Amino acid sequence: MHSEPLSEMLGNQYFMARNYAAAAVQLQGALEKHPTSKAIRRRLIVCHTQTGMIQKAFSLFRSLVKEDVDFIINTDPVDDDCPCQELVREGECLSPTAETSVDFYIKMGMLWLFCDLQRAVECFARAAAASPGDQAVLEISQLLTKRLKASYSSKITNH
Amino acid sequence: MPGINEFTENILDSLSEGVITVDKNFKINYYNRAAETITGLSRHEAIGKFCKYVLNSDACTARCPIAAVLRRGASMFDFNAVVSHANGMRIPVKMNASVLTNPDGEPIGGTLTFRDMSAIEYIQEQLVHDSQFHGLVAHSKSMRDIFSLIEEISDSPASVLIQGESGTGKEMIANAIQATSSRKTMPYIKVNCAIFPAQLLASELFGHVKGAFTGAMRDRQGRFELADKGTILLDEVAEMTLEMQLHLLRILQEGTFERVGESLTRRVNVRVIASTNKNIQKAITRKEFREDLFYRLNVIPIHVPPLRERKEDIPHLVRHFMHKYSLIYNRNIEDIEDGALDACLNYNWPGNVRELENNIEYAFARTKEESVIRANKLPPHLRGNALQPDTPPDDAAPAAPLSAEARELAKQLQQHHWNRCETARALGIGRTTLWRRMKTLGLEK
Repeated sequence: MHSEPLSEMLGNQYFMARNYAAAAVQLQGALEKHPTSKAIRRRLIVCHTQTGMIQKAFSLFRSLVKEDVDFIINTDPVDDDCPCQELVREGECLSPTAETSVDFYIKMGMLWLFCDLQRAVECFARAAAASPGDQAVLEISQLLTKRLKASYSSKITNH
Repeated sequence: MPGINEFTENILDSLSEGVITVDKNFKINYYNRAAETITGLSRHEAIGKFCKYVLNSDACTARCPIAAVLRRGASMFDFNAVVSHANGMRIPVKMNASVLTNPDGEPIGGTLTFRDMSAIEYIQEQLVHDSQFHGLVAHSKSMRDIFSLIEEISDSPASVLIQGESGTGKEMIANAIQATSSRKTMPYIKVNCAIFPAQLLASELFGHVKGAFTGAMRDRQGRFELADKGTILLDEVAEMTLEMQLHLLRILQEGTFERVGESLTRRVNVRVIASTNKNIQKAITRKEFREDLFYRLNVIPIHVPPLRERKEDIPHLVRHFMHKYSLIYNRNIEDIEDGALDACLNYNWPGNVRELENNIEYAFARTKEESVIRANKLPPHLRGNALQPDTPPDDAAPAAPLSAEARELAKQLQQHHWNRCETARALGIGRTTLWRRMKTLGLEK
């Protein structure tokens, strides 16, 4: 098996090429060197959602949301080469099965946060309802709801 | 670009090659003047954007050359790609790529340089169009037989050994084999075995792992791995050491090898074309070349005849090279004087087609005012072979009795003072056809 030298830059290139599996390997290696990097975590979240590693993605997502939720919310599709608008459109076409519904809503909630806070809040509310005992999901749901309310308040004040 | 001063910027702007640097996110942070010209975008429009949106190249994403450098650990040169001009035109380019690192060796950006190949590609297309077979120009039976053979073996993955003197066009034959094969869309890697010392050749062909030898800073793929599922051309194969020949034999027999400094066995599927200008039978006798390797390579043998054994190709080659240099130098030299062509036909061409091409270029460079290459513009060693245009025709009369056809042709030639151009025009045939007919009928001077 050919092993590539690990680098964030190569991970970024794979991400640009939408080769999420290869990007995940590279960015995971880069994250070990730079564990506080928000940019690496943000991309890894997307990679993990696309390679079926929803819990891994959610773990990174939680840490980043708690640390700086706006870093995700303010992602620019062009400036940050973020594919999430396309990914949520693809995801919306799928309907969750009973077994995967929680993961599905978590995945969509994470991806929606890159594009639309309100839709992310709706997805996490559904995930929390589908999995009442999951404290982590509940915590994120509440955190995002709070952030949504704050954005409404600031809009009203500005208006 | 961070840290660039005005002096450096002036230097970079004076280059005819486009120069772009990107940060680790692949966002452009430097864009020189030539890059602006080639892409039609100003640096203000390009800087800060992802290179994939600016170059919009077929090499972006899956074939990104900077990513390839990151993977291989070595810079890339002459990588063929197509970039987009702002007006929508596709520009063929040759790219070089390298990676910029911080003092810890961590990649922090990359450099892309590229040159516009539109004019060269146009010339190549024209020349290939003129040629008879994938860029090869030849009408002789021996060469036409080779073209037929190449077409017959197009479906075969068997090894090919091309033998022939230096300058006969062995590499072009190899290119034609690759271009007609079922692997034509797969990688095609060329290695000149003579230019690498033995240890380096092993690393070049099979790759190495970090620390395998001094200077092996990271793992590196070899040419066989890069050519996987494709074709490799081993030029000057007879220059390999016996030890290297053993490694090559193994890869031919089993398709397996190890990188230098590694015990992991790797497998590849590569079609091998080898070429040599050495007399390989003599090399075997002298124990310089392994006999078993010879048989492995020589599954499909091709012997490219020297130019002196196929002189009927010379007029076609001369015309081909005249067309080539007309396009390259943007000059309108379309004809060659009979005496000059005779000089070419009477010379033995030890350097073969390459020497002929060089001599035509020499004459081209010396022909300033006229649209015809004269004999006196040829290199001195050729001029001695030129026939004087005013030579009395009787001098050329063959000793043997002439056939009716030959007598008729000789009469026509005599009427035109043995001027081939005028005779050919009068007969309504090409000058090359006339020359061939003269040769067949024994009227060649």
